[in-house]
Amino acid sequence: MLVKSDIFRIGHPVPRADALSKVTGQEKYAADYYSPNFVWAAVKRAGVPHARLKSIAVEAARKLPGVLSVLTHKDLPGSNRQGIIFKDQPVLVDAKIRHCGDAIVLVLAEDKPTLNKALLLINFDYEPLPAIFDPEKALEERAPLVHENNPDGNLLQHISVKVGDVKEAFLECTTIIEGSFEVPFQEHAYLETEAGWAYLAEDGRLVIVASTQTPFRDRFEIASALGLNIDKIRVIAPYLGGAFGGKDGLTVQSLLGLAALNSQGRPVKMWWDREESFLAGVKRLPARMYYRLGAKADGTLHALDCRLYFDTGPYAHLSSEIMALAMEHAGGPYRIPHTSIKGWCAYTNNPPGGPFRGFGVPQVTAAMEQMIDMLAAKLKMDPLEIRRQNAVRQGDRNCVGVTLVNSTGALDCLETLAAHPLWQERKKWKESAGSFKRRGVGLACMAHGSGYGPIIPDEANAKIELTDEGKMRIFCGVSDMGQGNASTCLQIAGDILGQDADSMELILPDTDRSLPSGSASASRCTYTYGNALIRAAQAFKQRLFERASTLLMIPTSDDLSLIPGRIRHLPSGKEISLSQLAQLMDPPERTCTHYYRAPVAQEKLELHSSSKVFGLPHILFSYAAHLTYLEVDELTGEIEIKTYLSVSDCGRVINPQIYEQQIQGGIAQGLGYALSEDFIVEEGKGLTPDLSTYIIPTTLDVPEMVSIPVEIDEPTGPFGLKGIGEISINGPLPAVANALADACGIRVSRSPFTPERVLSAMKEKAPHEVKP
Amino acid sequence: MPSDRRVIDILREDLNLTGTKEGCGAGECGACTILVDGESRLSCLMLAAQLEGRSVTTIEGIASEDRLHPLQEAFVEHGAVQCGFCIPGMVLSAVDLLQRNPNPTRMEIRQGLSGNLCRCTGYQKIVDAVKAAARKIGS
Amino acid sequence: MRKVLLPHTPEELWEALSAEPQAAVYAGGTDLLVKLRQGLVDPSYLVCLERIEELKGVQEFGHEVLIGACSTHAYLLANPIIRSNFPVLTRALELLGSPPIRNMGTIGGNICTASPAADSLPPLYVLEAEVEIRSKNTSRRMALKEFIQGPGKTSLQPGEIVSGIWVKKAPGYNLYHFEKVGQRKALAISIASLAGLLRVSEKGVIEEARFAWGSVGPTIITSPEVEKAVVGNRLSRPILEKAACLARSAVEPIDDIRASGEYRRLVSGNLMVRLLTLQREVCH
Repeated sequence: MLVKSDIFRIGHPVPRADALSKVTGQEKYAADYYSPNFVWAAVKRAGVPHARLKSIAVEAARKLPGVLSVLTHKDLPGSNRQGIIFKDQPVLVDAKIRHCGDAIVLVLAEDKPTLNKALLLINFDYEPLPAIFDPEKALEERAPLVHENNPDGNLLQHISVKVGDVKEAFLECTTIIEGSFEVPFQEHAYLETEAGWAYLAEDGRLVIVASTQTPFRDRFEIASALGLNIDKIRVIAPYLGGAFGGKDGLTVQSLLGLAALNSQGRPVKMWWDREESFLAGVKRLPARMYYRLGAKADGTLHALDCRLYFDTGPYAHLSSEIMALAMEHAGGPYRIPHTSIKGWCAYTNNPPGGPFRGFGVPQVTAAMEQMIDMLAAKLKMDPLEIRRQNAVRQGDRNCVGVTLVNSTGALDCLETLAAHPLWQERKKWKESAGSFKRRGVGLACMAHGSGYGPIIPDEANAKIELTDEGKMRIFCGVSDMGQGNASTCLQIAGDILGQDADSMELILPDTDRSLPSGSASASRCTYTYGNALIRAAQAFKQRLFERASTLLMIPTSDDLSLIPGRIRHLPSGKEISLSQLAQLMDPPERTCTHYYRAPVAQEKLELHSSSKVFGLPHILFSYAAHLTYLEVDELTGEIEIKTYLSVSDCGRVINPQIYEQQIQGGIAQGLGYALSEDFIVEEGKGLTPDLSTYIIPTTLDVPEMVSIPVEIDEPTGPFGLKGIGEISINGPLPAVANALADACGIRVSRSPFTPERVLSAMKEKAPHEVKP
Repeated sequence: MPSDRRVIDILREDLNLTGTKEGCGAGECGACTILVDGESRLSCLMLAAQLEGRSVTTIEGIASEDRLHPLQEAFVEHGAVQCGFCIPGMVLSAVDLLQRNPNPTRMEIRQGLSGNLCRCTGYQKIVDAVKAAARKIGS
Repeated sequence: MRKVLLPHTPEELWEALSAEPQAAVYAGGTDLLVKLRQGLVDPSYLVCLERIEELKGVQEFGHEVLIGACSTHAYLLANPIIRSNFPVLTRALELLGSPPIRNMGTIGGNICTASPAADSLPPLYVLEAEVEIRSKNTSRRMALKEFIQGPGKTSLQPGEIVSGIWVKKAPGYNLYHFEKVGQRKALAISIASLAGLLRVSEKGVIEEARFAWGSVGPTIITSPEVEKAVVGNRLSRPILEKAACLARSAVEPIDDIRASGEYRRLVSGNLMVRLLTLQREVCH
């Protein structure tokens, strides 16, 4: 109908396979399920940050006409605990409330007005407990304990890594810079909030359709929380309306499961409204970072000492892993022979911390990249020059001591940026600021490690089936949350199998049909699943050729070619259609699967920790260098980003269009993190509860962006690629901070850089100086 | 039909037209944008009674029998669609924009779409798509 | 379940209001329906004004213009009478909300919601607008600055609606200015705003000035002191700095989630200094 069906080719900007159904409104998200007899489900949440739950009054709600069921922890058959590594979160609170968004009661009702009325009729009696809202204070002696049974008090994890001897090394430095930085919560604000649909199938199995990045893992969490056999649970993940890490793990799933077990056979729908999403969903961990960086007179980095404090809120979730990844990137993409990096992750009664694109790296990049600029200023060195001088190359060690054995394009990114007109013409641009405006440019250079690290297997299982109609059906194993990995699967398989859009089909992750392939996270979606898929496709191609050569009575399969819908023997012109071939093959032969596990770092680090560390170190890193053009208004403090340039090393580019989509989207979220997204929490309560108070960028707030790939082949990657999902979100905050310093000599230690904070800093610096 | 039923609920729940999405329920995100008598409006802030005598166009209604609307084609071709949840509202706002201003500059496109939040794309390819569609419609 | 009434004529409107005096009246719904969802109001009856043609449109009566209260912001932005006579209002409406909100929201609604951050208000204040208030049997005019009594409070009595806004054409004013400071460039509640009208002589001397600040007090702030300070002078840095100081004393900003009172006070003055950029528009 619309896009000419080209054969898929690696390297081509093939339009995404899901674009058509989305642009016509036909694509069904988890939030789009309805049926004639469905039931609404929702939970009553705590509203107080720390309390002992004493009793729950549900009778009034139960009696309300139209209410099917009102459930508390007493109605939970299983452990009533969920969590990815530590199962420390109740599905419905039984003893203790640990944050304002804790779920207390689950209600099932015929319609939304009844549901809302029922929720208002529910009361619970509680004893308020002294609460703790600061991660550093949480680690002090007498801080109120969030988990009384935790032997480490409010400490979730402490990790300490070192290389060399940093104490000695500082004595050898001619220049030492210190800095402290604070970054806030960041809210994912995906357009589709947490949503799902659940029902009991005829065979009694629980089926859950959810907006989830982790359909396979979810089953384990649901099974243990609800006391079900994992074989009895099927999870289906349609296209997600955005996730960015906020749907990594359980959101609605266990609640939906419990609801479906109590809905008298009727399907159940749960869809968090925006305020509930803000209240109950995980957020990027806030952090306080204290840095000390030392260099030799010629700008060579020599010593780094940093202390990092992360706030995980009430539950462990993946926060220890987030801190571990942050620590691995705390020194940036630079050679630093002596480092001491220490991190503490503390429980508080603040909103729950969890994964958000970047996973700890945006936080430390914000700090380190500002430190580099501050050092450059002190040494009177050009900020690009000092980065070039110290950028890691393949074979160097990173700041935690891991050897960079795979492709390492940091320097290539910097050199490409250096040659770009935007860098070359920056002085001229800066000098032409208008009235009451000051202009500056800012750099950031970054790395991003992909995958899960050495312990949790980063693995995928690809599956391809030749259907009766002769189509190649690809069973995607990794959720597509908008990043286009499902389309990329088609492109990869299509390229190897010589097919086009009309002769291929895509099945989105479904635990009954696809094979376990890990989470949609950690910049691993295309790398890991793609590697499995390539192997599956290549094996399948061989198998199909062997069958075809037999059927076509050709001695070898050497001169066979796969083309859309058929296999052709090139010398003789003999052909067999794929549908014919399918009919003549045994069913088991028509499916091909392949496993892939990503390589892990073998090196042992000089590391100490309070509990087991997952997620450090990594072995595969993407790199980027960013440049921003910034204009600040002297009268209001408002910042406008005029242009943004990013140069990225993500290996080879499979699809230039998808490449740009990822980079541009990450930059936009990073700019929000830098300029306007202030998720304000006071005494554990969110004061920015919706999109009118939590400010994400509109079309008028994101500039035109230039994104340039530096294509260094990564031999271990599918067609030479590396992860791309997260790298670009790491750059904007420090690039903007550095540009602001360039424009008017100020640094704001607490982000986002709102007009008020900027104007205040400008005033402090020069109380009477406002140039026309 | 209760006169205070939200139009977005009528579309999604009563008419099975789930193309129109809800992102905030408070007029802040634009995901629920529809066309009422050709003008873009937020269906989460409209009540059933207000539909009397009006014609409503949702995303399901802008393609013809055999062709997509040029904006839809352009969105696909130019990579303007990622997760897609903002897209129905975005496309309809673009329809309204091009009706008022058939040859907008990139800045005018940004202004015209400033009521539609997108969290995935960073907007650039959306602007590319609308510019391309405007050219196509104009020629 | 609430009942929503949709009168098509003023007669049907008066009937509805006398039948249900407690009914909540709305036009575009961009304020009321948000409050309804938040549970801040709970009326059993709603009356929607959007179909009453008599409440829409822009009419010229000599040197006065009557703007129908139910005119949407988008309609006014496209209206040649508004565009040519009241550029200060046009500029503010361009920055209000977002395109679909401008298609739905009305100027009457913006006034009656009476938020100190309402973007149409500072321009209407410098234009010395009057509201026309009608009920079944009465009709009166009142200065806008008296009509709005406090945040969310107006002089509307039960059974009354704002039917129109009277604005005098002000041909003597040759410079206009509007600036809004927000947390982003669209869909932003104003943190501070300034509307200004100036008459500057051929020699560059300010002969008349009117200013109004938004979001920095319980209602829109005006200041005869600031206006007096600039009249008789040229647009110069020292004069504007002096005016800025006076402006900072005139405003009464509060702290809220968007900004502190201190920032708002500082910026209220700084926005006066911006008027220096109008210098290039002065002919001589």
